[in-house]
Amino acid sequence: MYGLDYFFMQGANGLVIGCLYALMALGLTLIFSVLKVVNFAHGEFYMIGGYMSYFLVTLVGGVNPFLGVLFGMVVLLVIGSTFDYLFLRPMHRGEVDRPGEYAILLTFGLSFFLQNLVLAVAGPFPHRTPSFMEGGVRIGAISISADRLIAAGLALALMLALLTFIKLSWTGMAMRAVSQDQDAASVAGINPLRMSNIAFAIGAALAGASGALIAPIFGIVPDVGVLPSIRSFIIVVLGGMGSIKGAILGGIIIGLVESMGAAFIPDMSRALAYRQLYGLMIFVIVLLFRPRGLFGEAQ
Amino acid sequence: MKHIGLRKGILFVGLILGGALVPVFVESSYWLHVFTMAYFYGLMAATWSFLDGYAGQFSFANIALLLIAGYTSALLAKHTGLPFLLNLIIGIIASGVIGLFIGYLCLRFKGAYLALFTIAFSEGIRIIINTEHQVTRGPAGLHADAFFDTTSKVPYYYLIFIILVISIFIMYRILRSKWGLFFMAIREDDEVASALGVNIVRYKIIAFVVTSIFCGVAGVFYTHFNQMLTPNFGEIATMGLVIGMAIIGGVENLIAAMLGGILLEFGLESLRELGAWRMVAFGGLLMIVVRFARNGLLAPLYRKLIGEEL
Repeated sequence: MYGLDYFFMQGANGLVIGCLYALMALGLTLIFSVLKVVNFAHGEFYMIGGYMSYFLVTLVGGVNPFLGVLFGMVVLLVIGSTFDYLFLRPMHRGEVDRPGEYAILLTFGLSFFLQNLVLAVAGPFPHRTPSFMEGGVRIGAISISADRLIAAGLALALMLALLTFIKLSWTGMAMRAVSQDQDAASVAGINPLRMSNIAFAIGAALAGASGALIAPIFGIVPDVGVLPSIRSFIIVVLGGMGSIKGAILGGIIIGLVESMGAAFIPDMSRALAYRQLYGLMIFVIVLLFRPRGLFGEAQ
Repeated sequence: MKHIGLRKGILFVGLILGGALVPVFVESSYWLHVFTMAYFYGLMAATWSFLDGYAGQFSFANIALLLIAGYTSALLAKHTGLPFLLNLIIGIIASGVIGLFIGYLCLRFKGAYLALFTIAFSEGIRIIINTEHQVTRGPAGLHADAFFDTTSKVPYYYLIFIILVISIFIMYRILRSKWGLFFMAIREDDEVASALGVNIVRYKIIAFVVTSIFCGVAGVFYTHFNQMLTPNFGEIATMGLVIGMAIIGGVENLIAAMLGGILLEFGLESLRELGAWRMVAFGGLLMIVVRFARNGLLAPLYRKLIGEEL
């Protein structure tokens, strides 16, 4: 029913979109590994990233769309750092009962707050940031728009930059130390509160970058972040909570599964809707049979 | 002890009498509608308090369970000739069975994993209802028969009022029994609870099934009251409202969570002209309450007035 070309096409699209999924999931897994918090506002960080880039590029006018992405990331660094400082710090200090629930409630409350704030300010109608670049690339039967390629390329570059930062910089090493053993890290002179704050801010900025990069491709509405956030949960559970390698590989796997999986359902509108459910099925299977995911540490 | 009983008696009888007399004083059908929806949200907030506040299971699935009951009942009414009441009962059983299934899965998922699973499950249910429009009529919404052959809001008011009183009574009795103690032991630390001889498998599943049945009750009421059910109602935002109401009222106290649901729905309805900004305020209030008043706003008041946790 579908030719080989179709599979190549879907495969290429899956890889490209998978890079963007991976970027967002990387933020989630970074936050989890350092703070031990599942960020339920991750989808809203993604959404805010898209809106910030849209506001800067269209309202100010004449601004390069690439600067829009940067602006989105900076805004989210500020939001992430402020939120962690105001709301999560008592939890890091061990001052709250049932910290797991506390973190879910606060990040979920933030997601509710941000989603409605954007709805109140920008209205329910979809917006689209201008393209990074018109046109596209064609290799054989595969054609991909320039926007998608640029978005995926920038996502890869950001991921590489983050990996280098975590691997080589002092702050990156300190964050890894906190993620392994908070007490031992503080004995070694690292301030875990500060590292948590940085990790949350960077994680938020990565979600924002992903949203800003996708905004020219899919457009944005206030609840645009709901499905991407669930997808990120699925990716980090698949890859292993807190595993950076897992988030990147998981993102690409889910991107491919969604693109290729659509080919198995003949009805077009069903195929589009149900590719979300493939992820859900993977999620349940992983949770049941390998809860630590592909690269997670055993609990 | 005697005084506690007396104070509770005064509070409960006062609430029930007050509720029973509302239609005598309120004639506007708009406000009766608001009362009805407020009681509906009170019931939903109580179901969430039952599961999270007592058994410590953080679930996003309550609204999805409500949709399952509502759609089951409305679809049965459309395609079969079963008696109306039987449709409702089958709907409620359907959400109870799905609740059993989630409860069974949750034995393996703890904390954030359960929240992640239930949020994905809810979105899955919503996507299926949205997509299978030949059966569910998709985003356009499924029509459902009315309970009563009248346009008056008074019978609906009394129906939800009686449902609420009976449901809260049953949940209250369960939580005051030794089951309630087992739930709280599981909430505090399920491994310790298990070591002390609490059958955690059994009580976690019981907590899920009881919650799901009451979500189902709320679901069939909502469906046949509004005479319309749409998958949009199953968006995470609705669950956010329910969770926020329970938390702001006081999630570790069933009565406070219920009152939180009733009062906040009133608040949101009276501020309707503010549009989306009232939800911004609601989200902000939720965050501030969690950060600075973890027990909620009404639960400490209840404790002060009554002198007991529940």
